[in-house]
Amino acid sequence: MSVPPVVYSGEGLSKSKRPGLGELIRKRPEIITLFLLITICIVVGVVNPAFLQASTLIDIGRASVVMGLFALGVLIILAAGGIDVSFTAIAAFTMYSMTLLVQSRLPDLPIAVILIMATVGGALLGVINGLLVHHLKVASLIVTIGTQYLFRGFLLSFIGTVWIMQLPPQMGAFGRRQLLQFESANGAVTTLPVYFLVLPVAAIITWWILNRTLMGRAIFAVGGNSDIASRLGYSLRTVQIFMFGYAGALAGLAGIIHVCANRQANPFDLVGTEINVIAAVVLGGARITGGTGTVFGTMLGVLLIVVINSVLVLVGIPSTWQRLVVGAFILLAAAFFVTRQRRK
Amino acid sequence: MCVPLISQSDAAPFLELKRIEKWFGGVHALRGVDLAFEPGQAYHLLGENGCGKSTVIKIMSGAIKPSAGTIVLHGQRFASVTPIQALSAGIETVYQDLSLLPNLTVAENVALSEQLVRANGRLARLFDRKRLRQTAERALAAAGLPTDRAFLDTVVSELPLASRQLVAIARAIATRARLVIMDEPTTSLTRREVDNLIGVVERLRSENVAVLFVTHKLDECYRIGGNAIVFRDGECVAQGPIQGYSKQQLAELMTGRSIEGKRYRSAAPSQQTLLSVERLEAPGIHQVNLSLRKGEILGITGLADSGRNELAMALAGIAPAMSGTVTLDGKTIHIRRPADAIAHGIGYIPEDRLAEGLFLDKSIRENEIALIISRLSNAFGIVNQQEGRRVAARLSEEMRLNTKDLELPVGSLSGGNQQRVLIGRALTIAPKLLVLHGPTVGVDVGSKDTIYRAIQKLAEAGMGLIIISDDLPELLQNADRILVMNSGQIVAEIDAEQASEDQLYKAILTNAPETAQ
Repeated sequence: MSVPPVVYSGEGLSKSKRPGLGELIRKRPEIITLFLLITICIVVGVVNPAFLQASTLIDIGRASVVMGLFALGVLIILAAGGIDVSFTAIAAFTMYSMTLLVQSRLPDLPIAVILIMATVGGALLGVINGLLVHHLKVASLIVTIGTQYLFRGFLLSFIGTVWIMQLPPQMGAFGRRQLLQFESANGAVTTLPVYFLVLPVAAIITWWILNRTLMGRAIFAVGGNSDIASRLGYSLRTVQIFMFGYAGALAGLAGIIHVCANRQANPFDLVGTEINVIAAVVLGGARITGGTGTVFGTMLGVLLIVVINSVLVLVGIPSTWQRLVVGAFILLAAAFFVTRQRRK
Repeated sequence: MCVPLISQSDAAPFLELKRIEKWFGGVHALRGVDLAFEPGQAYHLLGENGCGKSTVIKIMSGAIKPSAGTIVLHGQRFASVTPIQALSAGIETVYQDLSLLPNLTVAENVALSEQLVRANGRLARLFDRKRLRQTAERALAAAGLPTDRAFLDTVVSELPLASRQLVAIARAIATRARLVIMDEPTTSLTRREVDNLIGVVERLRSENVAVLFVTHKLDECYRIGGNAIVFRDGECVAQGPIQGYSKQQLAELMTGRSIEGKRYRSAAPSQQTLLSVERLEAPGIHQVNLSLRKGEILGITGLADSGRNELAMALAGIAPAMSGTVTLDGKTIHIRRPADAIAHGIGYIPEDRLAEGLFLDKSIRENEIALIISRLSNAFGIVNQQEGRRVAARLSEEMRLNTKDLELPVGSLSGGNQQRVLIGRALTIAPKLLVLHGPTVGVDVGSKDTIYRAIQKLAEAGMGLIIISDDLPELLQNADRILVMNSGQIVAEIDAEQASEDQLYKAILTNAPETAQ
């Protein structure tokens, strides 16, 4: 029995054979982010050549670590069609509790163990999010608004409200440990700390999970359409618990790094910056409605926000303008993505 | 034909359902259903919407659990199965909504399930891209789709609907399927694609795979052959070789009453012109002229890309025309957006009622009065709910909805009843012209009958109707004239009373516009 040959003229065929610029941008929206980033760097570099020094770049790299870790967690959750606003509260909770624990009970705990404990602690809090989202069947935005208040409220009511100015020595040392050191012409010394390495490592692991494991594919499948994904046999429960747990782990890690870098633990810190992080991920091309997003794009989005936050001052724009600029960029990029998608 | 005989000795059933019961709250959806599936056989699950067809296939594919009864899979007895168990046993389902993940590529949609099943549903596994590509290539080739890199990497949301259907089928055959269930697989396909699908089915059967069709298209069932399984009200009322039943008998079994395959059209149109369209230009249509008298029913047909859909959307203001004149009831009108069409008295019933037509989570009442909400409100914008309820109740009565509870969400109704709600709503604006786009797509025989009667009544009352459809018997039974479109132009006009289905089909295939040659 022979099947009649089909004459098929798929739209997708002819279109993807000759990719124009528009097509490329639609498939890889982070190109816009890259373009914005390069443009800003060129403009700022021309206006103030001091920007293009190694010291500025190192500052930007250092400032990207905490936001970058948060953003990788948000990326995974957005890709699976969820949203998380509790990760800053998870970070604040783990960083402050860990610091307090080390300071008052376990002063000899090695830094590696501290980092691991913070990561695991964050993951546990994240798993609570995942379980709630799965079993209550409530939108993740509502659940994580609730847990943000809960985690933060618990921290401030039961754990403490006092700033810890004197970090345990091993944590302070970790924050100061150098990877690279630069001396600029005017004698000022800039160092790239060791903890910077955490970000590229986390980015590679996240990329690997998303693109090389079945879990990664399942995350995108659930983000595409969770009903269909579960009908096809993807376990929603596993995906939801994993993604919130993973985001929580990254948040816990980011929190402890934040403490080590700033050399103090402020329990009121971090909460309130979550919109900034979500904005960075969306600027990196992930759709807020789920199912898309790349690690590369997310890193570009983070860099863009960090660059805006740190360089506007260099060209004489008041720091109060930062929000204005970030807002304009978000609208610009969003409008661009949408018109591209409609145009197909 | 390499079709095994039914009584072949080695063809023991590999899947049996025994005394399956399903309750949804107080609704008894399945009442002790017994079914058996043998390798290499074709089965046609027939029945009206809401008779339990979808419930039974969901139970077989593991999407829902039965309330009572046994599922026997390869000799093992189960009270219920999970999706992964069903997939590992080779039960593949092509759902009516296709169940494709819009954001993933063709290759991933086709071949990811195979890796998921191999990992037994566990996600902490590496994802094998090379294997994915190989599996996808094999399955796509078997479904008659291209296998080049560019197609494999195309994101599904960018594919036309007909190729998505074939991608969904390719997924079903990517693994060692034993039974492929297809839920209304041909509703969005053109004839040529249906031919291709039937070829795929033949090949599956020759490889000893059983195929279960859930469909309303009886002609296709006869072409494919095999066994008919007829459901009515959650019970299996007949089972046996489909050739042993006439269309008439099947329709009676499904509905429990007799339905004639007769021509519905009776009244003659008046001589007054209602609508005239001259030199209409819109995306996908070119220089379209047509006229319609009061009380006339005009059919429009053509292949999927002939421009028939674009013409409907231009008249409804969804994809407005760029130039040309539209005269309605002696007045030249401009339709730039859907609200213009509604204001001028043009009602439109979209083809995709779920995506374009209905608010699924809103009640029947709210859907019915959606178009006249401003007329029902007073100067302060407060809606007269009592009047709204009255309007909704009258329409449901007229359209013979099968429920009295108008507060039920529309999404809980069967396809046929949803379509009736949609038609009822279009009538609330007292349209002069009603454009029906695929009025009975996915609708069962009984609902079709109600809808056709309603259409005829509207024409008798002097309304002009345009039916855009690829269901040829539907056009022949209901219309006065049928216009055939090709490449965006009207290429033939056929008298519906004189023509046969064959003649009409030939006109659709052969006519090409003079300018296009």
